[in-house]
Amino acid sequence: MFARARSLAARSAEWLDSRTGYRALLDSALREPLPRGTGWFFTTGSVITLLVGVQFVTGIGLSMYYLPAPALAHDSVRFIMTVVPLGWLLRGLHFWGASFLVVAAIVHMLRVFMFGSYKAPREITWLSGVLMLLMILGFALSGYLLPWDQKAYWATTVTINVAKSTPLVGEYVADIMRGGPDLGALTLGRWFSAHVFLLPITLVSLIAAHIALMRKHGISGPLHPEPGPATTFFPWHVIKDTVMMAGVFASLVTIAVLFRAPLDEVANPADASYVPRPEWYFLSLFQLLKYFPGPLEPIATMVVPGVVIGFLLLVPFLDRAADRHPFSRSRRAFTAVFVAIGIGVGALTAVGLSDRPRESTVVTNTFDDDAAVAKDIYDTVCFACHKLGGDGGTVGPNLTHVGSRRDYDKLRAIIADPLAAYDESVMPPFEDKLSADQINALARYLASLK
Amino acid sequence: MHRRTVLVRLIQSIHALMGATLAFVVGGAAVAPSFTRRPSSWRRAADLSGLEDGTPKPVSLRIVRSDGATELIDRRIVYLVRSGDSVRALDSTCTHLGCRTRFNPDLKRIECPCHGGMYDVTGRVIGGPPPSPLQTLPTRIENDRVLVEI
Repeated sequence: MFARARSLAARSAEWLDSRTGYRALLDSALREPLPRGTGWFFTTGSVITLLVGVQFVTGIGLSMYYLPAPALAHDSVRFIMTVVPLGWLLRGLHFWGASFLVVAAIVHMLRVFMFGSYKAPREITWLSGVLMLLMILGFALSGYLLPWDQKAYWATTVTINVAKSTPLVGEYVADIMRGGPDLGALTLGRWFSAHVFLLPITLVSLIAAHIALMRKHGISGPLHPEPGPATTFFPWHVIKDTVMMAGVFASLVTIAVLFRAPLDEVANPADASYVPRPEWYFLSLFQLLKYFPGPLEPIATMVVPGVVIGFLLLVPFLDRAADRHPFSRSRRAFTAVFVAIGIGVGALTAVGLSDRPRESTVVTNTFDDDAAVAKDIYDTVCFACHKLGGDGGTVGPNLTHVGSRRDYDKLRAIIADPLAAYDESVMPPFEDKLSADQINALARYLASLK
Repeated sequence: MHRRTVLVRLIQSIHALMGATLAFVVGGAAVAPSFTRRPSSWRRAADLSGLEDGTPKPVSLRIVRSDGATELIDRRIVYLVRSGDSVRALDSTCTHLGCRTRFNPDLKRIECPCHGGMYDVTGRVIGGPPPSPLQTLPTRIENDRVLVEI
């Protein structure tokens, strides 16, 4: 039985190879000769490949449930977290995976820089890597908005206002990012599209180019190659890649299991008490903004990031000497600038982490009178059966956006006597339990929840 | 075993384990909700006195149901067929390929506009491709009110 199955599999593989030539392709991919002494430092690229793969696969899973519309986005993420089996872990892997990916990309860049691997003839490989780092940050930024929670709303507001400070074209850039005069459905639609179509296509193209260039020029290898014949990529280096990938993957799964991906309250533009703070990887820019107020702001939003990115893009063309050691005479200055950038970003991030504003204790007037009355009634009466902003029972319909389905008159009629509005309803009448003013206030408030 | 073979097996096993973990999480989240069923509930459909003996009356039943992260108000058409003091409720969905049937009062039969399926007033197939009768839904009568479980 097994012998026949194996024979069938072997014949099928033979036929497939005769039609596609996949074995030769696989051989050329796996038998790449590596300089002797290529060690663990050269596994960082594989870790990025793994993490990009995890983001793609978990992103596909999330996209089955996510709804890119302001009225539905937050509910759909909550649905993923609370109703979809393993949805909390799926989102956890995607959420924490983003941080892992940023760290892995920085570590990889650090390794490439320190080993002088960007030097000729690998300048374009380096440039594609810098662009990939920017793409990864673009993923992180566009992924922010999608849950449409407080953090999403305010982080995007700040990002768009940062873009506004671009000289000459800032207003236009901000309008294009927003998709209109206000942050809303058009903004969410285009950020979602960028996150799931535009950026993945660009990143995959850059990864393909990066790997093709790496194969063309071969890897740079250790600073001081060991004497002896080259080793083959498979299995002698692949085992190191695999062990490193497994360690990172196990850490990611552990963190995703132990720490639930956060989800703030639904975006509320009227909530002045919310203090927006970005994720840790944008904290350095966030902190930098504090030191350049008013007309000096473009220094933090444009000049400093521009200089850093410019340095990274130009370094292979400025550092042209053959010596790869980071502390060699020809490279010292470049290494010093690179280290200074690293220390600057690290220090700003550390200051940003510790510089937490005190939570606002002032109760701001976020609700008008109707909302205050309605909130009291909801908390004591409606809560048992209806959800509002994610909390509450499931016996009756979700009221979070009920104003988009029912107008004031209809809502008032339903609250007063549901059976007069519907043939069948398990909801009790409230005309004898609430005053007319209370019912009116509640209906007005619910009608405003679009 | 040869050292190289051990390494190859180890590489394959680790990658398989990582792939299986991802497949379990993503596959579980993607597939599991497909097998949930909507809970049924009793809905008031009509008054018994308003039904004519032996003539199907199409009624629209309103169902509030979960639809992923949202809730929607669905409407289902059910034929109520009175027979003395009892009532039979027939789902209007054609058992062939799920089209919505309609009652033809002239010929006293239920017809499917898609592929010509025909049912009599009790839901039995009398012509066309449907493989089985219209689905019968549980009913009960309380104080002249006809309730249907849907």
